[in-house]
Amino acid sequence: MRSTTDSTTVAVDQRPSLFSSLFPSVVSGIVIGVIGAVIAGVLVNKVTTAYSPDMVPNDNAVAASVFIAWVIFFMIGVGAFNGIFEWGFGRNELTPAEEMHMAGKGQGLWRYFRYTTDHKVVGLQYLATTLVLFFVGSLGAFSIRLEQSRPGALFFNPSTYNTIVSMHGIIMIVATIIMITGPIGNFVVPIMIGARDMAFPRINALSYWLLFVDVPVILSTLFLGGFQTGWFGYAPIADQQLTPGQMSYDFFIIIFAVSTTIAAMNIMTTVLVMRTRGMTWGRLPITVWGVFFSVALGLMAFPFFLMVQVMVVLDRVYQTSFFLAASGGSNFLYEHLFWFFGHPEVYVIVLPALAVAAEIAVVFARKPVFGYRLIIASMLGISILSVIVWGHHLYTSGSQDPLNIPFMLDTELISIPTGIFFLALVGTFWRGKIWVTVPTLFVFAVLVNFVIGGITGIYLADLPTNEILHGGMFVTAHFHFTLVGAGVFGFFAGFYYWFPKMVGKRLNPMLGQLHFWLFEIGFVGTFLFLFIAGLQGEPRWSANIAAPFVTANTIASLFAILIAASVFVAIYNVIYTLARGEAAEANEWGGKTLEWTVSTPVPLENFEELPVVTSLPYTYGEPVPAAEGRVPATEGGVEGVQPQIES
Amino acid sequence: MSTSLEHVYELEPRIKVARARAGVLLLIISDALAVIAVMAGSQYLRALNTEGQYKVAGDYAPSFVAGLLVMIGLLLSGVAFYLWDRKASKAGETGQSLFLLLSLLIMLVAAVGETWIGATLRYGVPIQAYESAHLLITWFTAIHLWLAVIIGILLGGRILRGRVAGGHEFVAEVTGYWWYYTVVASILLWLFASYLT
Repeated sequence: MRSTTDSTTVAVDQRPSLFSSLFPSVVSGIVIGVIGAVIAGVLVNKVTTAYSPDMVPNDNAVAASVFIAWVIFFMIGVGAFNGIFEWGFGRNELTPAEEMHMAGKGQGLWRYFRYTTDHKVVGLQYLATTLVLFFVGSLGAFSIRLEQSRPGALFFNPSTYNTIVSMHGIIMIVATIIMITGPIGNFVVPIMIGARDMAFPRINALSYWLLFVDVPVILSTLFLGGFQTGWFGYAPIADQQLTPGQMSYDFFIIIFAVSTTIAAMNIMTTVLVMRTRGMTWGRLPITVWGVFFSVALGLMAFPFFLMVQVMVVLDRVYQTSFFLAASGGSNFLYEHLFWFFGHPEVYVIVLPALAVAAEIAVVFARKPVFGYRLIIASMLGISILSVIVWGHHLYTSGSQDPLNIPFMLDTELISIPTGIFFLALVGTFWRGKIWVTVPTLFVFAVLVNFVIGGITGIYLADLPTNEILHGGMFVTAHFHFTLVGAGVFGFFAGFYYWFPKMVGKRLNPMLGQLHFWLFEIGFVGTFLFLFIAGLQGEPRWSANIAAPFVTANTIASLFAILIAASVFVAIYNVIYTLARGEAAEANEWGGKTLEWTVSTPVPLENFEELPVVTSLPYTYGEPVPAAEGRVPATEGGVEGVQPQIES
Repeated sequence: MSTSLEHVYELEPRIKVARARAGVLLLIISDALAVIAVMAGSQYLRALNTEGQYKVAGDYAPSFVAGLLVMIGLLLSGVAFYLWDRKASKAGETGQSLFLLLSLLIMLVAAVGETWIGATLRYGVPIQAYESAHLLITWFTAIHLWLAVIIGILLGGRILRGRVAGGHEFVAEVTGYWWYYTVVASILLWLFASYLT
């Protein structure tokens, strides 16, 4: 592949007018989106009132029309449909100048607020949105711990408490689903495989902006009466929720499912066909494998989540009866369709986090990866098994008693590939000259936390113990150890590892360590005591804690203060770094994957000439880089370290 | 669809083709799973027949004859598309546009027909599970047909601009994948709905 033109310094130097800056952009998207939503809401309100025998508007129909119009008109305003129109009716393909403009060349920071196609811009948009979602979700978590710190109704009534728990749950689930495949999958993965961009950059931007418009949709529930169904949105409770706040949840999921599906298609296609010469399947970085398995699972699981929410919307708007037993529906239908998505979704979150942990372990152990093929095979095994175990979430429901034992056995089978993965991770560290950095600390935490999460999961997979523990705080603690302990800690390992490459500045390591220790001690303390509360018999979904569980909950809430402090340390670190941080080097850690061979900040086209890959990127064996643990970069890679490509 | 930087740095033709094929096929897989979710859900309710209320006296399915006509139309649309696609997929050819126009027109009529079928379902509330399944299948099919119409219009525009031949022949091939999938999925859904009846 060669450059066909040198006209990349295009007419973008011309000063754009204010109008051309604002249209299309997020500003025009919001303006047109709000106008469209208001008009749609008013029209549907009038129409449903006119057709109602009681002259009462259908609130659910109004909410649905507002959400649909908001999405469509925002997308018109942000320019998402321009490319589709040009594809069909444009006279010519884009010129290089137009193409570079679309990719954000010469637009400074404003490119982050436009329909920009550059995968690095999209990756950073995802990163910012992930951090905002984490912050909003953690506000919910701290509210929960505050309310549960002492007996009695302290701050919230039960209905508000349930809405807070539900919002915390679904916002965190969405944040954890995108936390790696969004920022790292978009920014890092294309460079890792030696591509100039994603396979479908416009669709890439679409997947992000669909996520962007989705945030106000879920927050709107605060003004529409909330929803008390939990993050899983169980029907028929979802059908019977009197306020339209439930519609916010349903449309949040529908829009997110569309966003995630097209993002998954894009990432999979990118990995399938955009790899550079020599980047064979046997040389793919572990992170790429993890992201690939994650999005493949998402592509197959999300259609079920989407369709079940469509059914809930139909039940609410048109009074169909998919989940109402009195009219021939069944709550079991929701539960099966939901958990057919819900269990693979755990691995959608955890697999890329584990892959990132393995990637970082190799770099900082400074020795060849232990069992590259074992790692890939174990991730494949986990992926396959994860789609046939959903029934363990319904053990006690009574919907499938004859299948409980098969579901128990296949659930327990997952511990085999998971164990293999951990063996490989420990084997990679074993006798390595470990360079202890902030990313390494987070990887160690992944090892500790996920072991606790995994072992406690066995008690929930086993029918006899599940009978006792289901529906209690034990479950809450277990899945937090899994999703946060492995998922979020894995994300932060990647965050500290790739932040210098993504942003071009080095996060303060002291603040990073403080963030880590506050987070890990607070997290383990909080949820170990919730395990105790669960073993004592505390149920989930109880706004007011009963007397036997007070001590465990109070101690858990005290530990949660450390987590809260860690959040603010992390925020301060990011803001401080953006304002005054040191510039990062091209190869900050002495990594051998391709992203460390390009300069920082990464040029728009990533590579001047596409690289040719000659080996796995994990053939370490050289001494630990000297000089205060920092590696001096050289043109051909790093001193003492052979890069993955020919230099 | 044009992507950034591939006009600045040449993208090998084989990658362009593989990318388009992979993208469309992955979307088809995802959508097919949504179709399976609808059919599995409907069959599950039928099998459970909760409290004997799955289908009660007076419940009815959409018109069989109207549905049959839509499906015949879809088959003809698929055949017409194939006749266009067979030539247009070859290098330097644009196909015989009349067949594409015919295919698009029949698809449009089918979409209107399916929408009419959905709009004329006068189910009383609360809608029983049996009728709920029919309502969902009918509108789910209609949305697929309208999506195909939009794709057909965009494709027609591209032909009018002369942007199918000359290195872009794979566009005909991959839009064909979605077109045939729409036809097959819609027929399967209709057969399934008939089985529910």
